Formats: sequence, C-alpha cells, structure tokens
Amino acid sequence: MTFGDILRTAWSNLTRRKVRTSLTSLGVTVGIFTIVVMLSLGVGVQRVIQQQFDAIGLENVVVQPRDAERNPYTRYVRPEREVVISPAKIAEWQQMDDIVSVTPIVDVNESISKRLVLPGDAAATIAVGVDPGIGINNPFETPPTALAGVLRPTKDGEIVISQRALRRLGLTAEVNNLIGQKVQLVMETPRGESQSFDYTLVGVSSVDNNLVALTPNDSIALKAWWFNEPDLLDKEGYDYALIRAKDLNVARQLTTQLRAERFRVQSVETVLELASKIFLVINIMLGSVGGLALFVATIGIMNTMIMAIYERTREIGTLKAIGASRGNIRTLFMTEAGLIGLFGGIVGLLGGWGVGRILNRVALAYLEREEVPIRGDFFYIPPWLIGLAIGFGLVVGIVAGLYPAARAARLDPIKALRHE
Amino acid sequence: MGQSTSLIRTTKLQRTYQMGKNTVQALAGVDLEIERGTFVALVGPSGSGKSTLLNVIGGLDRPSSGEVWVSDLELGQAPDKKLVSFRRDRVGFIFQSFNLLPTNQAWENVALPLMLAGRSRSERRKRAENLLEQVGLGDRADHRPAELSGGQQQRVAIARALANDPVLILADEPTGNLDSRTGRDVLLLLQRLVREQNVTLLMVTHDMNAASYADRIVHMRDGKIEQIETIERTAEAVA
Repeated sequence: MTFGDILRTAWSNLTRRKVRTSLTSLGVTVGIFTIVVMLSLGVGVQRVIQQQFDAIGLENVVVQPRDAERNPYTRYVRPEREVVISPAKIAEWQQMDDIVSVTPIVDVNESISKRLVLPGDAAATIAVGVDPGIGINNPFETPPTALAGVLRPTKDGEIVISQRALRRLGLTAEVNNLIGQKVQLVMETPRGESQSFDYTLVGVSSVDNNLVALTPNDSIALKAWWFNEPDLLDKEGYDYALIRAKDLNVARQLTTQLRAERFRVQSVETVLELASKIFLVINIMLGSVGGLALFVATIGIMNTMIMAIYERTREIGTLKAIGASRGNIRTLFMTEAGLIGLFGGIVGLLGGWGVGRILNRVALAYLEREEVPIRGDFFYIPPWLIGLAIGFGLVVGIVAGLYPAARAARLDPIKALRHE
Repeated sequence: MGQSTSLIRTTKLQRTYQMGKNTVQALAGVDLEIERGTFVALVGPSGSGKSTLLNVIGGLDRPSSGEVWVSDLELGQAPDKKLVSFRRDRVGFIFQSFNLLPTNQAWENVALPLMLAGRSRSERRKRAENLLEQVGLGDRADHRPAELSGGQQQRVAIARALANDPVLILADEPTGNLDSRTGRDVLLLLQRLVREQNVTLLMVTHDMNAASYADRIVHMRDGKIEQIETIERTAEAVA
C-alpha cells in the first residue's frame, strides 16, 4: 500500500464521520490555540522590549571600578578601589580591535556643593550639578540637543551649560551670542574653604535642569580639590567608562573579559539576558496550560479511534482477509489519528493568529490613548512557532493513535468478520 | 507433494478450540484433495466444521495438527507474512454479507487487493473496470455500495475476489443474503468464471440448491467429511 493510498483511504474514512472528526480535532485546536496565543504573546512582548533595548544601543558597555572589601577599620572612610579605571586603562581599551570609542566619565556627585558664577557679577550665582554624560539615550525621552555650539566640551577649560541655567544667571541674550562667555564654578567646603575654577562657554544644551558639562579632567580636578587628594586620578581613576563596541558580539566578549579583570560591567545585554530568562519561564508556564489541553485532546482522539475501530471491526476483518498486513492496518489508523491532530493543529494555529491580530489592535489602541510611544507586535508568531504548532498537532494525533492502531492491527480476522 | 494436479490437499487436518473448559473439535481429521479448476461446494449442518475448513484453506486460521497444502505452500507452518501475501496475491474471498467498503466506489472496492499490493491507481482503475465489465456492472464503476442492489453488491465482491488473478476463490455462503432469483444469477456467474478462467472455487453453503451448481459436493458432519458427491453434467446443461 503506497503512502498516497493510505492518505486517501484515511481521508475518506475521516470524512465519513465529519461531525465526530471535527469535534475530536476541536480538542487539539483548543490546545494548539492556547499554546499559539500564549507563546506568541510571550515572544511578541519580548520582541517589543528587545526593540526598545535596541534603541538604547546594546553594543554599549558601561564599566565601573570595583570597591575593595570593607573591614571594620575602613567602614567609614572612602572605599579603596580593587581595580581602577586609569587613563592608561582607557588608552589600552581604545587600542583594542572592534572598539568604536571609549569615554571616561567622572561622577561629581550631588553632595559636592558647587555654584556657577559670572566673573565680576557677585549677584549672578546659582547652584548647579555636573552632568556625568553617560551617553546612553533613554528611549522614553527625547535626547538633549545643542542649542548653540557643542553638547559636550572637548578641551579642558571648556564648559557646556543648559539654557535654563544661563537664563537664571541672567544671560538672556540669543544663545549663539553667548559662546565664548567666561564663567566660574565656585566650590565651598562646610569648613569655609573655597576655590574657583575658570571656564569658557562652548555650548548651550537643551537639558531641562541646572546642569553643566565638563571634561573628565576638569571634573577630576573638582573632586581632587574637594577631597583634598591631588593624586585622585591615580588612586581612584575614573568613575565609569563607556565603551562602544562595534557590535553585540564584541560587547558580549568584552563584558566577559572585563568581568574576569574584576571590573563591574553593566551592559544592556546583561539586563536583556535576565529578561529573556524570565520570559522563558513565563513561556514555559503559558505553554504548559496548552499542554494540559493537548493531553485532554490526546485522550479524546484515542477515544474516537477506539470507537471507530469498534464500528469498523468487520471492515478491518475484510481488509485482513483480502491481504492487508498488520502494518497496513496500523499505518492506516495511525494516519487517521495523525490527520485529526494535524487539522486541529492547523485550525488552532490560524485561530491563534487571528485572535492575536485582534488583541494586538486592542493593545495598540490602548497604548495610543495612554500616549505611550511604544509600537510593535505584541502577538508575534515566529516561523518556529508555526512548525511547533503543526508538528505538535501531528505528534499528538499519532501518539493518541498508537494504542488504538495496535489494537486494530491485532484483531483476529475471523472474529472480526463475524462481528455485527 | 504439492506437485500433483491437485491444488488443495489436506491430510489429517484437525482444528480444536478451547471454549472455557470445553474443547470443541471443529475439524476432526479431514483428508481432502481438490483439483485445479473445479467448483466445490462444502455442505453440512451448522457446526459441522465447513467454515473452519474454508478459513484454514484460506490462510485465515491455522490447523491444530495435520497439513494443508495449497499449490506448493503448506499453510500450517508458513510464517504470518507468507499467509498475508498468500491471501493478498493468490486467494479471492467472497462473503455472505458482501463486505464492501461503504466509502469506496465500486471500482475502488474491486481494486482493493491491488491497492494492498501497491499497484498504481491508473492500473487499478483499468483492471477494475475490466472486471466489472465481466460481472456485468461496467456502467456502475463509480457507484457506492449503498447505491447498488444486493445482487449487484455481491457481483462487485466477486469482481474484487478476481482482482488479484487468484488460483483459488473461497466463498462463504455467497447467496445467503440474496433472494433466490439473484442468488441463481450469482451462482451462474461463479459457475461461468470457473469454466472460463480455470480458477478453483470452494463454496460453503447449507443450501442444497446452491450446492447443485458445483462440480463436486463435499458433505461434512462433526468435523469430518461424510461423503463426496460428483455431479455429472453435460455441456448443454451447463449452458
């Protein structure tokens, strides 16, 4: 018996009892439908989040030094650093292959008080913060732009100030005319010591805060004075380094390598990997719900097949008498069961796809109303899910058919022919 | 042994069944020889073992002891696979209740043994139409069994039994479900096929009138052959 004949025979047997066949495969449909909806939701949401992360730039690696272990004696002093991001390290990283750029970053934190002063105008003074300039865009905010000049200073002694801070200093002229303006940062310790630093304005940023941007060296100079530590750069190094790798793979390798060197490394990729793990668990849980439905469907198919074999006992006897082998009978009934599963799988897949499209529309309409700038497919069916759904349906059918088919194959033709 | 002119030869054939604690002896030592190209009727009261003998000769059942040769194959010792191919390629079965597949068209039913043998669909269709023509149903090839009368269905079944060009046709009460007129037509058809195609036909019946169409009548009782009758018939009587 050729495979085409088996398929044709199985098909005509299934269409003989259309309602029963449809109802039986409905069980598989429900199972596959659940799996497809659940998994496409899991995959879709994960993809949308991935797209958001991609916007941030996954190839960026943020390196931080590691603080040495504290003991009871060092508990209340500034922590020693186990590894230091020294200028030499920055230079070394810049020399590496596949690295686009390395930016050292100094965090002049909020507790260090600093005021922006116009030289010769004692009245014009405001408290400011120093923008460390991490350089990673937040996809939920519009990135700052340079209203005049540049966004980051390139030479020591240069400063970029937000338009808001300039206005509060009383500099209300057209921003382009302010470039070249001399300003001072004045630091004052609680003990009353003070020191001023001179800068030239090279840019005006659109940031909505009282922020200034300095070069790393100038930032270090501020901290060195504050902590009274002239060798600060040698001792503590920079606070961060932003390494922009050529691509994601390089970023991944770099992360591993730097961690081995005892640096603390944050890459968005690390966060994403954690998110993937969480999504895997969620997907498995969601998939299990469908799995349970499929288990019930398997029993349903088995039941239908056993009933069909009972009804068709005499037919099986006839086929055996005229020369059908056990294998022929077994293959025939397994094919019938497999087809029931396959149809259930296909219908479940189509249903899951359709419902996913509808729910996606609802979700997008909701996000639009709430003005969240996220777009995408929350119910995404990747090719592997198509294969999984159809394959699973088929396998469920075949597995359900194993026992009934074996029973049919074992029937004694003489008894089967006498069956009423 | 199988080289003689006889197609079927059984020696000391026994078949016992276990029915609970009782042992039923369906065949109690049957020695029978049937020559090629004869129409043999097996008659006897129910429980006489005639159907069991038919099943054993058809390779559906195995003897408890003794030998059963069909042509050069000893069925009692043959492996299962041999029995399957024996039934598929060399025997044709005709049943009392026709046993056609209801979803298949007449020609597909006729071609079933060829499908099992793995022949191509076009070859099957051609052969089936040819056979349906022979049994007088050339115009019913595309009908389903439900659209045919009992006599027509049995003729489709006869065509199916001929599909694999068998050496032996086994018929179990082929006229049991037919009225006497159509029964007579079917018997005449079977008689004609034996004459024209030189096939051997073994028919179980309890109807003596049906048996009278055969060349030989084997009477069975209590699992044994009681008497063998040979019916002399002139050529004119056949026609």
